[in-house]
Amino acid sequence: MSASSAPQPVKLSLPLVYQQKLFEELRKEDELVILARGLGLMRLITNLLHSYDAAGNNLIVVVNAEDRENAWIGEALAEHAAISMSPKARGLTVVNTDFTSVGTREKMYAQGGIFSITSRILVVDLLTNLLNPETITGMLVLHADRIVATSLEAFIFRIYRQKNKVGFLKAFSDNPDPFTVGFSPLATMMRNMFLRKASLWPRFHVQVAQSLEGKKKAEVIELEVPMTDSMREIQTAIMECVEISIHELKKENTGLEMEDWNLDSALTRNFDRMVRRQLEPNWHRVSWKTKQIAGDLTVLRGMLQSLLALDAVSFLQQLDTIHAAHKPAPGTTRQTESPWLFSDAAQTIFETARQRVYSSKQKAGPNSTIESLKPVLEEQPKWAVLADVLEEIDRDLYFEPAVRDDSNGTILVMCADTDTCRQLRDYLQTMHIRPRTAKKVEEVYDPEEDRPSGAFLMRRKLRNYLNWKREFAQVNATLFSENQKALSGAVDPRLPQARGRGGAPANKRRRVRGGGGGVGSNPSRHENGSIVQHFEKPNEVADLMSEIQITEDDAGGQAAEEIITFATADPLEDMDDYYQLYDMQDLVVIHAYEGDQDEHVLEEVKPKYIIMYEPDASFIRRVEVYRSSHNDRNVRVYFLYYGGSVEEQRYLSSVRREKDAFTKLIRERASMSIVMTTDSHGVEDPESAFLRTINTRIAGGGKLAKATAQPPRVVVDVREFRSSLPSLLHGRSMVIVPCMLTVGDYILSPNICVERKSVSDLISSFKDGRLYAQCETMFQHYRNPMLLIEFDQNKSFTLEPFADLSGSLRSVNPENAGANDLQSKIVLLTLAFPKLRIIWSSSPYETAEIFERLKALEEEPDPVAAVRAGLGEGESPEDGVNEGKGAVNGGSTFNMEAQEMLGKVPGVTPKNIRNITAEAENVREVANMEVEELGRLVGREAAGKIVEFFKKDVLEDYSG
Amino acid sequence: QALPGARSSSGSSILVSPRQKGNPVLASIKSTAWEYSDIPADYVLGTTTCALFLSLKYHRLHPEYIYTRIRLLQQNRYNLRILLTLVDIPNHEEPLRELSKTSLVNNVTVILCWSAQEAARYLELYKSYEHASASAIRGQQKTTYAEQMVEFVTVPRSVNKTDAIALVSTFGSLRNAINVATEANGEERLGNVQGWGEKKVKSWRRAVEGSFRVRK
Repeated sequence: MSASSAPQPVKLSLPLVYQQKLFEELRKEDELVILARGLGLMRLITNLLHSYDAAGNNLIVVVNAEDRENAWIGEALAEHAAISMSPKARGLTVVNTDFTSVGTREKMYAQGGIFSITSRILVVDLLTNLLNPETITGMLVLHADRIVATSLEAFIFRIYRQKNKVGFLKAFSDNPDPFTVGFSPLATMMRNMFLRKASLWPRFHVQVAQSLEGKKKAEVIELEVPMTDSMREIQTAIMECVEISIHELKKENTGLEMEDWNLDSALTRNFDRMVRRQLEPNWHRVSWKTKQIAGDLTVLRGMLQSLLALDAVSFLQQLDTIHAAHKPAPGTTRQTESPWLFSDAAQTIFETARQRVYSSKQKAGPNSTIESLKPVLEEQPKWAVLADVLEEIDRDLYFEPAVRDDSNGTILVMCADTDTCRQLRDYLQTMHIRPRTAKKVEEVYDPEEDRPSGAFLMRRKLRNYLNWKREFAQVNATLFSENQKALSGAVDPRLPQARGRGGAPANKRRRVRGGGGGVGSNPSRHENGSIVQHFEKPNEVADLMSEIQITEDDAGGQAAEEIITFATADPLEDMDDYYQLYDMQDLVVIHAYEGDQDEHVLEEVKPKYIIMYEPDASFIRRVEVYRSSHNDRNVRVYFLYYGGSVEEQRYLSSVRREKDAFTKLIRERASMSIVMTTDSHGVEDPESAFLRTINTRIAGGGKLAKATAQPPRVVVDVREFRSSLPSLLHGRSMVIVPCMLTVGDYILSPNICVERKSVSDLISSFKDGRLYAQCETMFQHYRNPMLLIEFDQNKSFTLEPFADLSGSLRSVNPENAGANDLQSKIVLLTLAFPKLRIIWSSSPYETAEIFERLKALEEEPDPVAAVRAGLGEGESPEDGVNEGKGAVNGGSTFNMEAQEMLGKVPGVTPKNIRNITAEAENVREVANMEVEELGRLVGREAAGKIVEFFKKDVLEDYSG
Repeated sequence: QALPGARSSSGSSILVSPRQKGNPVLASIKSTAWEYSDIPADYVLGTTTCALFLSLKYHRLHPEYIYTRIRLLQQNRYNLRILLTLVDIPNHEEPLRELSKTSLVNNVTVILCWSAQEAARYLELYKSYEHASASAIRGQQKTTYAEQMVEFVTVPRSVNKTDAIALVSTFGSLRNAINVATEANGEERLGNVQGWGEKKVKSWRRAVEGSFRVRK
């Protein structure tokens, strides 16, 4: 750790020139830093934070940090503080939903230090003045690329800059891509953050290049691994499916910009998201089929990935699951199926995937069954290469004893995710165990005679797979036979409706294929042409099982394996890292890429050899940084990739994309610098209409209010801070009072209460009856409840596509009221609540205007009353208003996810959910309750339903 | 053969004011009968429901028109007074803001439609739902176990339908799948489920372990 010439007497850990440069720049002025991935952004941030921390007497807020980053910053600050022995350093305090008490937070803020605060809490605290913006020394923003004009963070900066013009604000990002989409995106982003200067550090920056390409370069060996024929076949078939899907998409949606919609871009990382974004403006106008295909693309791309990552058996298993999930519900027509399932290529995928695992032989076997299945068990080609590389390293170590250096001599294997980690660990553990060899396996490690192979592993996997498949057939039957029973049951309400529709006659309904028996082994197709899930004949399965049955040697192997596993019970072992003793001295560490965390891995493991099992551009840079940072550590990198595979293309395109993005940014910065220099601190900049209103109207903030009338005030439910509306209301010079509301989302006046629904919310809340219940409670407490139907800024302003305009008598028949379109539900709602007013707003900006107008002549709402509304007798507004001070607590909130899950359980109603949550701690507790216990809370009948739901065993419960 | 009393309940047909003659909406009313009648509103859709029709194009030319019409409606006769507004101009923002305010002051419910067909559909729906119950929007539980199970498991955002089926088929029942999250090797066992990566495992754990109410 070299102490640089930093302005503060603190010890820094920034060994490379460009890092020190950047650090000094940051100490001097506010700027937006975009650093190429892998160049050590987090290290820079922690050093910067430490330099402030050591000085003491600060209140610094870190915005937009993830949990992992918080943990890292916290650790790094403590470490720094210990190294430089700065007495004033206090480390990091993380404020998230766990710290909810207003009093505690207030005390913490008063003490100062470095805080990382969840945006939703921060905005509420700033609004309620719990954290006075004027007392903040500065803000650090991570992931600056995610900040758009309507985001919560932009709202935070606005509040901050309104009251505090001297505090610093520095933004960081390691993802240049988002800064290049749209019209002058960099300038817009910087305006959102009130920043004037952008500092760009691509990998090809002169200083970066100089620092990394000195004489201390890492030795890299590239190994191109060929895919097996069947893998290539599957890959081609999947690509074909992707092409079919894209073709269908194009056919369905003419008039969109579709030049980019081709196979090439389908391989880049977020093609499916790109398609979705393009369809977004009229997402509810696009046909059901298009949505389905957009979803399919995600699935297909996932398959491309798992083809390379998973072993043959797991891949087949995944295909089975995918297929089951995409199977149409019985009784539906062929339209509801994904088009790719109809293609020949889909057949190839399923067929070839199966043949990689086992194949059927026509000739008479020793058991003279006519058809018998033989395990094939193709191994992943990379496995063998990995074994070879390990062997080479081994030999290397033996013949040329290592030059003494600081490295550990450890071998680090990096792969994409923990799944692959596990797979590799299993492979390495078992690669020398031979299934069913004539001799007993005595010497486990004897590379001369014993070529490593995954046979043992694959056989074990196949056994598990066959077991799984047997159960899965049953699960399938249990899950989907219900539908069939329901369909044929006379009590089912859907039946008359189905007949009423006059569509297909009942006997056309497709038969469900659930059971394992009786279905031919050749992949057949449903009557409608889609692929039927393949289930083997039971006797064939039995054959296959006997073929790979645990033989004595296998059992011996298993014993041997246990011994190895025992030997590896290393104290270092934890959930993420799998250590295994390989050569009694050397350690093989298998680790998954984890973004910035990889730096820690390198520093801790100090590997001498690195095997990159899958390519990753940022990790290469991390190795470069690591190598350049340490004079005395030699690293050799083996780089494995499948030649001609999607993996390779994806890697190359990601490198190219980043480079392009930086080039674009540099160009934009060059042309915009003049504009930004005239802008002193952003706030005075008359950027958009709402910012202007702040300056003219709220100039004195709340202080002016006492002189004149009360400023317009809106009470907002804290959960609503996820949307952009509060920010826009604030922009329209309204005072936002965040509260925990039980009734309504926005309280505009003592009489007006607004429930906001986006179109998708509207649909879902009609479906589960939430909206009806919400309207009921609003009418209990307010005179003028309003329903706000808010459309998205970028989406079309119309509900027409939701209408069933067939004009037939049947569709307006009250018997199937609400079954069809959104319009009929709105009609029912207004009929049920004739006094409910509906506000139609084409965007959140419009909503803000409408709100202003609605409350123009009304009195201001009372936050305390708003919080009280809807709370039952004797329920204190514990989470709502903090009495005494009038400050309102926002952070304490229900755990929405857990409650929502509970709400989905049959038997749980909006009424009895309170009883359950009062008594039980979490979902797990409810799931483990028995009828008696639950019965006390919700009544016997409901309790029975709940318990049955959780207990239902899909493996055993199958009947019929 | 209308009975004398049927007039007030308007029978089974929509009553239309002669003012609406020539409105393309009338041509699109197909599944319900309608007849002209001398009424203060434009349409009578039931004993307690009436509607005024407003095209924003017209509104732009005669902004005062609609207020006169609203005033003419008898306050007490109709429980639900609908202002059926046809959005047929591109810059609809300003008139809609105004109508939102109007709806609050004058007790009318604004319903927007974007075509004559849609307008006609609303009229038909109001008429045919005159006596319908609101049960359709009071929420229907999913009826089959598979649907309910998928709904339940997919609450955490990262978990999808495929994952839900994989989860339950691995652990047999939901109770097992929930309990496994807390076991010592739970993360690994969950991670072994087909398609369940680290992120999904974490969010599943958080969802089933997370307390219903955040502690202070």
